[in-house]
Amino acid sequence: MVAAMTLPKQKVAMETVELSVSYNGKPALKRVSLAFPANAVTALIGPSGCGKSTLLRCLNRMNDRIPGVEITGKVMLNGEDIYARRVNLTRLRREVGMVFQKPNPFPMSIFENVALGPRLHYGLRGRALQEVVEDALRKAALWDEVKDELHKSGLALSGGQQQRLCIARMLAVQPRILLMDEPCSALDPISTQKIEELIVELGKQYTVIVVTHNLQQAARISHYTGFLMYGELVEWGETRQVFENPTRPETEDYIRGRFG
Amino acid sequence: MTTYTETTLQRDWESLAQRRDAVRLRRNALLTTLFGGVGLLTTLLVFALIAIIAYRGAPTLSWEFLTQPPREGMSAGGVWPMIRGSLLLMLGTFLLATPLGIFGGVCLAEYGERSRIMRFMHASVAALAGTPPIVYGLFGLAIFVLKFKLGVSLLAGWLTLTLFCVPSIVLTTEAALKTVPAALIDGGLALGLSRWQTLWRIALPYALPGILTGIILSLGRAVGEATPVLFTASIYYTTAETTLGWETLRQPVANLPYYLAEGYRQPGVVPERLIWGACLTLILLTLLLNAGAILIRSRTRRRYLW
Repeated sequence: MVAAMTLPKQKVAMETVELSVSYNGKPALKRVSLAFPANAVTALIGPSGCGKSTLLRCLNRMNDRIPGVEITGKVMLNGEDIYARRVNLTRLRREVGMVFQKPNPFPMSIFENVALGPRLHYGLRGRALQEVVEDALRKAALWDEVKDELHKSGLALSGGQQQRLCIARMLAVQPRILLMDEPCSALDPISTQKIEELIVELGKQYTVIVVTHNLQQAARISHYTGFLMYGELVEWGETRQVFENPTRPETEDYIRGRFG
Repeated sequence: MTTYTETTLQRDWESLAQRRDAVRLRRNALLTTLFGGVGLLTTLLVFALIAIIAYRGAPTLSWEFLTQPPREGMSAGGVWPMIRGSLLLMLGTFLLATPLGIFGGVCLAEYGERSRIMRFMHASVAALAGTPPIVYGLFGLAIFVLKFKLGVSLLAGWLTLTLFCVPSIVLTTEAALKTVPAALIDGGLALGLSRWQTLWRIALPYALPGILTGIILSLGRAVGEATPVLFTASIYYTTAETTLGWETLRQPVANLPYYLAEGYRQPGVVPERLIWGACLTLILLTLLLNAGAILIRSRTRRRYLW
């Protein structure tokens, strides 16, 4: 529908070029070209099955594992196509972290959950490791709640805390780009609010890309919004403009709640 | 398409439901009684078995019985050499079968669904797990004892029992790994861990209680079987095995199941009370193992509660 949607004057962190995805021949994403601005929060919205999660999972190649998936087009990061041959997936995912819809802490202590990444990727141990863990937990706004029980199981935390633990776990690997796949949809309103505040805070330092089915949430937390429908990118722009003055009737209908 | 009107839909819904309810309640009561009764019967049978053996064997069971060798031409004394032999067989089997079984289970769980060869392997392993133990005994005799010239020895017994245990350990490991939530695997991969790291750091620890339980139950079964070691490792009794050393590997060992079988076949030599005592000892040994398995399971369940 839209050939290339880039915004002027904004540094780009990651970019998809004519990205198409199909599952067992059934198209899920059709030639999406989209540039994600650096150090800002971008929201991806759209009705169920529109391809927004598929798009997100293409950005760190988490779709590779799904049987029957076919991906064409490019995803550019640091001037390289992450779908090129011999791309180092570990390096890609170190740079592009991900948080899932349902919190998925590992069945180990809070400390170990956060320490696992930096220990395996950077060989940190002892004091240095503790510092990184504390820093990540602080950035995820969880430190004050767990600092006295770091040895406790990550599964003993509440749902909202578990999700922040997953965010800390991701931050400890020192990524630049954060992918969040409906990070609040399994949480209660208070936990949701905390995560939203956290996303706004993280957006100052990181490039954050959030998939959400909650329009108000997108409006509250994002600087930029992409609207997808039937696997196509319909609208893309600054959040205020997309919500208040959309260029396409489909966007207008969706935002006014006429379908979806 | 059927046509209906307001009036054809008019029915006495409540009385229709009441008739169905009556049938349902009767059927429910019947099935509850049936299944409960069968369950109770099975439990009672098992308890009766253990109770009879305990009743017959308990008078024999003593510290001396458990720690002393037989005396006076097997007609008195204890069964320590048999206990020691069974424990030795079990230990070696544990050390050999655990890595093999876990490795096989990991292979099947990781590559099982995609490859045809692996599906075939799975079916073969399942068939092996159901193969009667005497077949392993004869295989061990043909290959390890005769072909490899190991003779009737502890080593040949280990290898035979390992073959006997590995299939069931492979299957329980595979099953335990398949219970690892996909969300955890995704979490590991999204952190940039390699497939191997995800398996080693996340999936295996999660599946460990299930794997350990499988290993212990398999060993418990192996230690009670007479036939795999019948031709490969067993000796009725020898006085020349009080010391442990490398040569022990090449010597046959006494063990509880074989002692039971042979002792019973020679009436008048071994008094019945000794047989019952050895029987109870063997049952206690396997019960101990099973209790250990249950303990591990319940402890780690609590720790990993979602």
